[in-house]
Amino acid sequence: MAEKVWTLTVNMKSAAQRRLFQGLLLFTVVICFMPLLPGLAGLIFAAFGYIPAINQYQFSLTGFYQLAAWPGLTASILITVFVTLCSTFLSAAFAFSILQSCWNRPWWKKLENLLAPILALPHVAFAVGLAFLFTPSGFAARISNLFIDDSFITNWNLINNQYGLGLIFGLTLKEIPFIVFMSLAILKQLNVKSTIEAAQSLGYSSSQAWQKIIFPQWLSKIRFPLFVVMAYSLSVVDVSLVIGPTRPATLPVLVWQWLNDADLLTLPKASAGALLLLILCIGLIYLLRFSEWLIVNKWRSWQFSGPCAFPLPGLSVLLITYLITLATLPILLLWSFAKRWSFPDILPSSWTLRFWRQEWSYLLDISISSISIALISATAALLLVFIIHEHNSRAASGRNLIPHLLIAVPILAPQLSILSGIQIAVLFVSTSHYYLWVIWAHIFFVFPYIYLALDGPWRSYDLRLDKAALSLGLSPWKVWWKIKLPVLMPAVCIAWAVGISVSLAQYLPTLMLGGGRISTLTTEAVALSSGQDRRISAIYALLQSLVPFFFYITAIITSRRTGPLDNQIKSTA
Amino acid sequence: MSLVVKNLSVINKDQSVLFAPVSFSIDPGEILTLMGPSGCGKSTLLSAVAGHLSADFKYKGQCYLHGQALNHLSPEKRKIGILFQDDLLFPHLNIWENLALAIPEQIKKSQRKELAMLTLEKLNLEFIACSSPAQISGGQRARVSMMRMLLAEPDAVLLDEPFNKLDKSLRAEFRSWVLALLNERKLPALMVTHDQEDLPDNGRSLIWPWRDIENNNKESEHA
Repeated sequence: MAEKVWTLTVNMKSAAQRRLFQGLLLFTVVICFMPLLPGLAGLIFAAFGYIPAINQYQFSLTGFYQLAAWPGLTASILITVFVTLCSTFLSAAFAFSILQSCWNRPWWKKLENLLAPILALPHVAFAVGLAFLFTPSGFAARISNLFIDDSFITNWNLINNQYGLGLIFGLTLKEIPFIVFMSLAILKQLNVKSTIEAAQSLGYSSSQAWQKIIFPQWLSKIRFPLFVVMAYSLSVVDVSLVIGPTRPATLPVLVWQWLNDADLLTLPKASAGALLLLILCIGLIYLLRFSEWLIVNKWRSWQFSGPCAFPLPGLSVLLITYLITLATLPILLLWSFAKRWSFPDILPSSWTLRFWRQEWSYLLDISISSISIALISATAALLLVFIIHEHNSRAASGRNLIPHLLIAVPILAPQLSILSGIQIAVLFVSTSHYYLWVIWAHIFFVFPYIYLALDGPWRSYDLRLDKAALSLGLSPWKVWWKIKLPVLMPAVCIAWAVGISVSLAQYLPTLMLGGGRISTLTTEAVALSSGQDRRISAIYALLQSLVPFFFYITAIITSRRTGPLDNQIKSTA
Repeated sequence: MSLVVKNLSVINKDQSVLFAPVSFSIDPGEILTLMGPSGCGKSTLLSAVAGHLSADFKYKGQCYLHGQALNHLSPEKRKIGILFQDDLLFPHLNIWENLALAIPEQIKKSQRKELAMLTLEKLNLEFIACSSPAQISGGQRARVSMMRMLLAEPDAVLLDEPFNKLDKSLRAEFRSWVLALLNERKLPALMVTHDQEDLPDNGRSLIWPWRDIENNNKESEHA
């Protein structure tokens, strides 16, 4: 009898637990995926002129007519697509040529470690630093002025170049390390070493083997990261505001300007533009997939047509990427302490702390608000990711609750398109509670990055550990808390830092849902980049890059002291 | 027309010698078997001859193929085919494409497929031409791998425990097929193995610890 009661309570307890878990799961789905619905609906309704918030109840095509009538539209679309395709293609090609010539050389491991600080550098700070390096009076011009006559240099215009060359340059440089980083895991799967040995025994040189045998396999596996690079280049607003073309600006910048227009009647035009951006994004993703299919599947005979290869630069690309990217930080630092730095001096002629002192109290304010938003949203997203991954590892294999494609939507779809819809939906519900909306939007965009960062570790976790612990009498909750989480801790630390840095770098979500009332380091860095004073701009960009860096360092140190004992770095004691 | 190895020894990172200098010469159509326990450096010796030695090792001595010194030639220029323990078919290409890839550059595009299909027909394997390497059986993969190596027209062949991973039942058949092909093509072949059964009936062998075969040719002759 007693036994029966006991079983009954256990059953009730586990049923309650199961229900609690299902509730949490539902909550997660609502937080992380529901914004897509008002996002898409708001976008489409607004594009067709139905905007209750400004008393527009008529469906019409006015927005599209206004969009089409805008004189610079074609030029803007062309330049946007040009920039997107060039930077995606170039970053992929250069990343591959780096891998081909440098991967697995004796010094490669050291370069891999250097990837982390380069990836941690936020796009905006990088763009500001790049502008300081390459404007006609920038550092590069100062250096070259030492050697050659300056008439050529002072006339070049790479930054804000009207054909978007500066934007292509910046995006390509910034994305090369990303693609190299994403390739590391892929190359491990591909057994590069034995493939190359086998190919060499068939008469292929190492670079021929890379291009003919590794490349097609790599290309199929690097597909998603390339989509990410492509979608980012297409829809980026902040970087484009700093180094992009201006007359006309890229399409996302135009839409962004229209959205900010005081005249609310431009809202249908802006929404039509945002919808166009979304359609372009889908179209280009298909184009990329189609080209991959052509190269790898359709016209595949080049893959077995015998040994031959293009000469590719590797080492030089690698050096240029690292050099320019890492040079942005010292330049920002120099400028932030410069009092007088006239052209063509290599160093400032006098120094000052004035600008740091002047900005200090405001800097502290917005640093605190940036960091709190980032900590709250990254931590919340991390908890939600735990719930989804726990569900996935319990569910039958191959039956994930959320398809991978849906998870990727916030990464791939232009932020502007989703956010303009959400913004309109928010106008409908409530216009206050800015912090709530901003944090929710950050969670929405941070979630997929943390999810993907933890996907591999969660899959490779040895479930027999759980079974062993359960058989020892530990409760499921205790097993998770005492066994699984500690084992996976290194990955969790890194994912958390990734989440924080993604949140810190958000520009559009903060401005659009904060109603302009919430400032972060990123929004200020962008706003000041077009200002008159380089010194103040440098201070904000510098801080914008140092804060995520701090969290990465913390995460890396923690991750090396947690997890399985074999992975931990032995303490010196 | 032979593969000659003179005073070859491999040196570890810590300057210790992996094996004492060995010398031997293999005539066309002849197969020399190096026997030894695992870890004795037999695969490393093959890597040294093929040019795949990893940066952790250094070697001393010379290798010649047809009188040409191999030491400073990059691996793909040595014209040495290798039959690996694993078949190492490239997973993104189907069977005939894997074969076509190995055909020398001079042969034009349309003929490449023909030649690959012809090779499969000779093996009565034309029905797997369009399969992926993962879809066919281990025995078929081994044979395709062997033919792929021969299509590259090597001047010498190294066999790195090629029968090790095959089923017992397949093993004898595949082994005699490989040895017959090598003999037919008059290729000098160097095989390493730790399995007595792999020793060919009519070849010479060196048993660990190897000594200069020039001096003890007669005694190590296998009956």
